[in-house]
Amino acid sequence: MPQPPKGMSDRDFQAALRRIREVAGSEWVFSSDEDVELYRDAYSPLWGEEEERVASAAVAPISVEEIQAIVRIANEYRLPLYPISTGKNLTYGGSAPVYSGSVVLDLRRMNRILDVSLRDRSCLVEPGVSYFDLYRHLRQEKIPLWIDTADPGWGGLIGNSLDHGAGYTASDFRDHFDAHCGMEIVLASGEVVRTGMGANPNAKTWQVFKYGMGPWVDGIFSQSNYGIVTKMGFWLMEEPEAALMVNVTAPRRQDIVPLLDILTSLIYSHTILSELQVMSPIMNGSPDPELVRLRVAGAGATDQEWARYVESRNQPCWAASFCFYGAPKVIAASWEHTKDRLAVISGVQFRETASYTFPLTDEQVDAVADKPRLGIPSLNLFGSRNSPTARPSEGHLDFSPMVAPRGEELLALTSVTGKVYADMGLPPPFVGGWIYHRRGMIVFHPVSTYRNAEDNQKTRALFERLVTACAEGGWNTYRIHANFQALAIQTYGFNNGSLHRLHETLKDAIDPNGILSAGRYDIWPKHLREKRA
Amino acid sequence: MKQALVTLAMAAGALVVMTASAVAQQASFPAPAWSRTTAAAQNRGSLTERGAAVFNNWCTVCHGKDVKNAPGTQSLQYKYQGKLPAALEERRDLTAKSVKFYVRKGVATMPFFRKTEIGDADLDALAAYLSQGKP
Repeated sequence: MPQPPKGMSDRDFQAALRRIREVAGSEWVFSSDEDVELYRDAYSPLWGEEEERVASAAVAPISVEEIQAIVRIANEYRLPLYPISTGKNLTYGGSAPVYSGSVVLDLRRMNRILDVSLRDRSCLVEPGVSYFDLYRHLRQEKIPLWIDTADPGWGGLIGNSLDHGAGYTASDFRDHFDAHCGMEIVLASGEVVRTGMGANPNAKTWQVFKYGMGPWVDGIFSQSNYGIVTKMGFWLMEEPEAALMVNVTAPRRQDIVPLLDILTSLIYSHTILSELQVMSPIMNGSPDPELVRLRVAGAGATDQEWARYVESRNQPCWAASFCFYGAPKVIAASWEHTKDRLAVISGVQFRETASYTFPLTDEQVDAVADKPRLGIPSLNLFGSRNSPTARPSEGHLDFSPMVAPRGEELLALTSVTGKVYADMGLPPPFVGGWIYHRRGMIVFHPVSTYRNAEDNQKTRALFERLVTACAEGGWNTYRIHANFQALAIQTYGFNNGSLHRLHETLKDAIDPNGILSAGRYDIWPKHLREKRA
Repeated sequence: MKQALVTLAMAAGALVVMTASAVAQQASFPAPAWSRTTAAAQNRGSLTERGAAVFNNWCTVCHGKDVKNAPGTQSLQYKYQGKLPAALEERRDLTAKSVKFYVRKGVATMPFFRKTEIGDADLDALAAYLSQGKP
């Protein structure tokens, strides 16, 4: 049987579960081994090891009132709860708690789309609404609004935005927390709070204006453990008349500097609205010995050496892809202007990869290759095998340090991570930058996880080295798997960790019994902090 | 996609959608009349028809017949190399037991599904659909 939380007697644990069953119904309280196993992290880097973070039970309430009642019981018994929304935050911890023995509060059943406003271009949803759910609803009802989906799209709007996730459409919508407007939260005390304009019981502007009056507190409920978010509003993108997907290549390694400088200028002046990716077909090619030598040499390899190598491969060193949205005339003018600006890079080449006019038929939706840029959720990224002979993937962790979108930064960072990989006897990592958030660029490093301890030990060692080496270079991760949150928070250690101390001060004030998501982003309640010290 | 949308419509509306006026008035939101996990069980039609609805809601995005939009089908194509059909709906060797095993245990990058996602009644229907009655 799953073990009760550390320090809690089995008698109290069973008594608390009995009380919770009275609230949520026996059918929705899971406490058998078989059922609790479903709350493991499928991609855990500690899979099957003693330290794997596992739940003691789970409960799936259907309403705010049930959550309030459960929270009050948890306070009475000091029972740790771990809320999840759709539970698909895989690569960051999935549906498993950070603190073993927590009872997972599974909000997947709360899956109502409470409102979609065509005139305000907004929606109000519950935590169990997935990207697929909202997308299918908008298609079914023929509502000309787009969602901005994470990729893969099996997660949900609330969970993804609270973990600072991002997507692929226009800049007003890609940073999912930035694109939210209004929240409802059940506090640890059981009290319900609505933020922004939602604090006026007669408000007509909850999803129109974020701030309301007084301190804007929404931010403290992201990447934290101060409350249970039960409703959230989001701004949606108006379906454009058309879209054009394009690709720009530049031949030389040093071209990345002007390429990103010009592209970011076009982003900041709102000529390019979509997410933009830049990657290196050369550096991501099959790792022949000369490429490995150059990659490992980092700054030690000269432009001339790189030029010789690039020339021998007969491929451009860089390829950027992005998308234009709007009226066809506006798209044509934006693309022409983009080409004019980039023409200063000798050898630059331009290609239109796909164009669309909206709305799309179902058959056209199926045919879209790059779905997320049109707000279409898919799981196309998540195959286990990409060839008949490759070892099937069993999962991965996401190591994505945030950098300024500058060519020098991309080269410097991948030189540092390349050395970490080389020191561990691994081939060089992927070189590519994704501009999801308004100003930052993430450099994605997928790190494989396995269902065996030996391989996972190597994974953890690699991951820890990446976190530390990049933080020393000034590049912190913006989001991280639960197993590495304590390490990552240490890299935000200005003034002897004053920010972390503030997080814990807030925790003590808002959740004095420490019942919510203990340990999330290394915020521990007082009683567990003292034991850890 | 089309098939998925049609099936969702059949499943009596996958989600409860409310009107704007309820929100504007800040009235209490009514309790949901529908829960996804019991959709198939509540839906009319035979067990296998309900199983098809579950498949379309949860599985098609990875295991549909259109390989370019189904990474699970693509992976199985690489695995079986033509020895078995890559699309699960074209398999004739699946048993109800094996379907339930993979849904609840996962395999490779496919995670296991919780009972709040695919409930036991839905899983029975799904297993009946994919196994065509084989236990």
